Amino acid sequence: MGAYVVRRLFWLPIILLVVSFATFAIARFGPGDPISVAAGQIRDDEIVAQIRADRGLDGNIFEQYQDWLFKAVRGDFGESFQQRGFTISEIIFPKMWVSAQLGMIALVIVFGLGIPFGLIAARANGTWIDPFVIGTLLFLQAIPVLVLIPPLLWLFAVQFDLLPVGGWDGLFDIWLIGGVIAIPIPDPHLYIPLVAFTLPGFAGIARLTRITALEVQQEDYIRTARAKGLPESSVALRHVLPNSLLPLVTVIAFALAGIVEGAFFVETLLGIPGIGRFTFQAVTSRDYDAILATTVIFAAIFVLMNLAADLVYGVIDPRIRVGVSRQ
Amino acid sequence: MGQNRILAILLGVLAALVLVVGGLSAVLLFSSDSDNTGPTGVSSGSNELQRTTGDDEPSSSSSGRLRLGGVDPVTLDPHLATDASSAEYIVEIYSGLVTISPDLEIQLDLAEAVDISADGTVYTFTMRENAFFHSGRPVTAVDVAYSINRATSRQLQSTVARAYLGDIVGVREHIAGVADDVSGIEVIDKRTIRFTLDAPKPFFLAKLTYPTAFVVDQQQIESNPRNWTRRPNGTGPYRLTEWRLGERIILESNARYYLDEPPLAEVLYTLSGGSALTRFENDELDVAGISVNDIERARDSTSSLNPLYSVWPQFTISYLAFTTDVPPFEDVNVRRALGFSIDRAKVAEVTFSNMLVPATGILTPGLPGYVDEDKTFPFDPDAGREALAASKYEVEDGRLIGPDGPVPIVITEAGGGAEARIDTQAFLEQWRTELGIEVEIRQTDFATFLSEQDAGELQMFNAGWIMDYPDPEDILDLKFHSTSQLNELGYANAQVDSLLERARVELDAELRMQLYRDAEELIIADAAWLPLYFSQSHVVVNEAVTGWFEPPMVIPRLRFVEIDR
Amino acid sequence: MTAEAATTEGSASAVVGRSEWAIVWERLRRKKLAMISLVVIAVIYGSGLFASVLAPYSYTEQNLDRPTEGIGADHWLGTDRLGRDLLSRAMYSARTTLIVTVAVVLSGSLLIGNTLGLIAGYRGGWIDNAIMRVGDIFSSLPGLPMLILINAAFAPRVTEWVRDIEDRTPLTGLVSSGFASYLIVFAALSLFSWVGTARVIRAQVLQLREREFIMAAESLGASRRRIVFRHLLPGVSFLIILQVSTGLGAVAGSEIVLSWFGVGVQPPAASFGAMLFEGSGARTFQAHPNLLLVPGIIVTLLLFSFALLGDALNDAVRGR
Repeated sequence: MGAYVVRRLFWLPIILLVVSFATFAIARFGPGDPISVAAGQIRDDEIVAQIRADRGLDGNIFEQYQDWLFKAVRGDFGESFQQRGFTISEIIFPKMWVSAQLGMIALVIVFGLGIPFGLIAARANGTWIDPFVIGTLLFLQAIPVLVLIPPLLWLFAVQFDLLPVGGWDGLFDIWLIGGVIAIPIPDPHLYIPLVAFTLPGFAGIARLTRITALEVQQEDYIRTARAKGLPESSVALRHVLPNSLLPLVTVIAFALAGIVEGAFFVETLLGIPGIGRFTFQAVTSRDYDAILATTVIFAAIFVLMNLAADLVYGVIDPRIRVGVSRQ
Repeated sequence: MGQNRILAILLGVLAALVLVVGGLSAVLLFSSDSDNTGPTGVSSGSNELQRTTGDDEPSSSSSGRLRLGGVDPVTLDPHLATDASSAEYIVEIYSGLVTISPDLEIQLDLAEAVDISADGTVYTFTMRENAFFHSGRPVTAVDVAYSINRATSRQLQSTVARAYLGDIVGVREHIAGVADDVSGIEVIDKRTIRFTLDAPKPFFLAKLTYPTAFVVDQQQIESNPRNWTRRPNGTGPYRLTEWRLGERIILESNARYYLDEPPLAEVLYTLSGGSALTRFENDELDVAGISVNDIERARDSTSSLNPLYSVWPQFTISYLAFTTDVPPFEDVNVRRALGFSIDRAKVAEVTFSNMLVPATGILTPGLPGYVDEDKTFPFDPDAGREALAASKYEVEDGRLIGPDGPVPIVITEAGGGAEARIDTQAFLEQWRTELGIEVEIRQTDFATFLSEQDAGELQMFNAGWIMDYPDPEDILDLKFHSTSQLNELGYANAQVDSLLERARVELDAELRMQLYRDAEELIIADAAWLPLYFSQSHVVVNEAVTGWFEPPMVIPRLRFVEIDR
Repeated sequence: MTAEAATTEGSASAVVGRSEWAIVWERLRRKKLAMISLVVIAVIYGSGLFASVLAPYSYTEQNLDRPTEGIGADHWLGTDRLGRDLLSRAMYSARTTLIVTVAVVLSGSLLIGNTLGLIAGYRGGWIDNAIMRVGDIFSSLPGLPMLILINAAFAPRVTEWVRDIEDRTPLTGLVSSGFASYLIVFAALSLFSWVGTARVIRAQVLQLREREFIMAAESLGASRRRIVFRHLLPGVSFLIILQVSTGLGAVAGSEIVLSWFGVGVQPPAASFGAMLFEGSGARTFQAHPNLLLVPGIIVTLLLFSFALLGDALNDAVRGR
């Protein structure tokens, strides 16, 4: 196992190199450059050309990449064109943190609600509960985010003035009771983005859980457990759930990695200063250093999460031997 | 048992997640009191500037505090700023030799007198005695010279320096790195500075009102070259006392300001948060812009917004442009045909709820040289069809057929999705029904659009222009002179060129404006641009605020505002 | 055992003379929800296919005197900001969705992930390693930003090439319908999105291959092909069906996101994405809810139906 981990970790720098170079090449290859975008309506072609030359944007692509690489491994991701006077690290880490906060809470809700719902539906297969739960879940999952948000905003922010229309104010807010007792409650800015994230998400997880659990339920050992007289809850928790975990683990790994990436759609629609929106803006302004920095960080997290998932497979089902070939 | 172990692990992971999130958030919550630490704060950097009083909340009560919505500036370095959002803060924090008054007059600012030589090439400024930096250091001619030299320096590589300061002798050499400093700047004594221009340019003073000519603190920049913009030592009516990236900016009045301390003590810009109007109605903001979605409410005389609502014209024009050296637009009749066949007034009414006004020319109202008459093509489909008939193209099956075969027409736009322009679609349909021509829309992203526009590859496109300084030269010369870098259309009209060239050096103001008006008429008749609309600013302002105005371009205004709370 | 049940079914049906798919179809037909879903999908895609015949107005015909009307006699679903009939635009949007679905299927993005997951899971060893590491690379690339960049870099060239083909052959409307750009985009997207599916399938295969029946089959000398198709595939089929149905359903969602970037069919052509963007915004919803609800409800119904169908199909295949 240890050797396996080491072997997998060995790939990490290689993958990062390939990913960063591929991103670098495609970004440079396409039309547009950050200086023209930042220059505004008074373009001075000579100065732009001069800046391009000074920043090494015209040279050999391998040399340019090398320059970036040497600085990046030392943690210097360069400066942003969209926000001058700040290094990229200073800009992106707070934004990643915002996205991560939102994402982690969403994740907890999605799995915390999704798995039980899926199990219940599987258990109730054959009765009216199963199609009812599934129908509702599927319907919720089918609503595109863009369709979901305006009615929610209208209802809660405009009509009843209960929630703010977008923006971000941290995770907690203080609710004063009688001007004396202060209770920390989740900040109202969170509710609509969380609903936008979790509604389709938990439906998806529930569906996956249900379908896997249904498969598992037909296994012999489940019938044995029931025949032995075990209570249903016990059967569900101790036998069905652990064996349904495999696809879930995969999805968890992906989702965990994804929360750092942020969801640019929701962030843009609701004015949340997260990393998703920033990445999108970086791409449209061709802010090369910012694009590279975010790409590399996401890539590292993805790879580590996938490794963790593979290791968890081995823990869950000792029969699985990852890394062993067949015949 | 193995299964129990797994469950335990799962529950443990879940608990850990909850703890991590909760714990870290609690940490953040309690640490957000300090001004300059925490993941979302920005460190202030070390410089000689006095420390702010108070941390998270300003120490004074909220009287004298104006609350506005805003965005992060791209930069607070006046010599690098090219966008309006940065300029909005910069014009309050810094100042230059001259400025623009609310009446759009050029006014002396750091200078108290200016002497222009008879031939119009030498400008001698005398600086006022009571001008200080925020830190208390007096402003001298040396500081002015340093600032202009820095703005045009090879290292700084400002993309706007040449446009605004290039008329001074020696600037081009300095920018190219050939000369160590600008030869046309002469510091006569502590309070006198002299600029020599390469020709008598009457718009020089107007250009000096732009941030590229603002004064910066040499000592601060040299001691903290990387981070000085985070707490700049400027000379303007306001000081930047807090900037939390993505969160807020606080400006406080400069007690040492030479034109008396501004009555408004503090301005808070909230940089995050959703709809400005909603926040305004929740009494979180004192001024908010009105968008198309809310304009009906603002105009409704029975609504609470109505008495607070005002409209202000802007020096912004949006237009359709043709590249005049590719088919079919090398034929002026085709351009005119398209121009006659769109009903801009109707489209402005339907798609923009009349928040824009149809353009009557290229010069916006309020600009010197503006005349209040409609010089643009009226909506006259018959005239359009006549023009098309007079051209060398025929219409068949929705396509224009020329001597070499069919010529597709493609209009390129930047942005899609929520930013897709609906008025263009309306125009398309009008061209189809009135002229029988099918025009295709092509959406690209902004950077691609810019690079293609720069290369002159766009057959037809949508764009806008915001005046940088109140002089027709800023738009007519820069966009339509045949040799101008910013003329992406390949437009070349010898008559227009000669009018513009004469206007560049004409010292008689009346004559000069007449030259520009003549040029504008020719350009419009040539239909290289189809001027579409002039923009307006629609705002609601809290009743407690007096003196608020929305200038047509970015000029300092906070010192004219008072709040009664 | 499930796999054995499938094998017995197979042999039983071989005796009776009906194929496995006929049995599945029989079971599906009995599920009312599934049939309703099928009808809904057929109606939506059908109205898209025959939009030019069915739609009361053309999708560009505007009437600036009657913008943003509600439901009425002339315009059954109301009009949009330019006075264009919403019902007609909805039908043409359905046509766009149809085009996108064809592009997605043709680009193979639905099958790549499943296939690679099967191979990686079953063969293991260096093949698994290779596929998964390549997958790591592709999944680590930020999909959406890459898409924008790739589109900006390559779309003009590919569009020119397709226009060329159009000129030389009797085919028309490839570019203007947006088909060309969708093909590029989904081919590019499939490069980045196959990994998720592959991992899920692979995980399941990893688990299945250690089962006794596989080992039994192997020790009996069954060929690899037989093992994969006869024994493994049934065990992962439920996941594959889930993925494909989700994928097809997600087509409409992807089209919306692509519209955001101006990729795909260009205005004034109608697409659900374009219609949704016109109607988005809290106050717009308040003033003119039909701008959002007309495309919103249709898209939700489409996605919902695909999902229901997928689940029902799964149930039918697995004998429920």
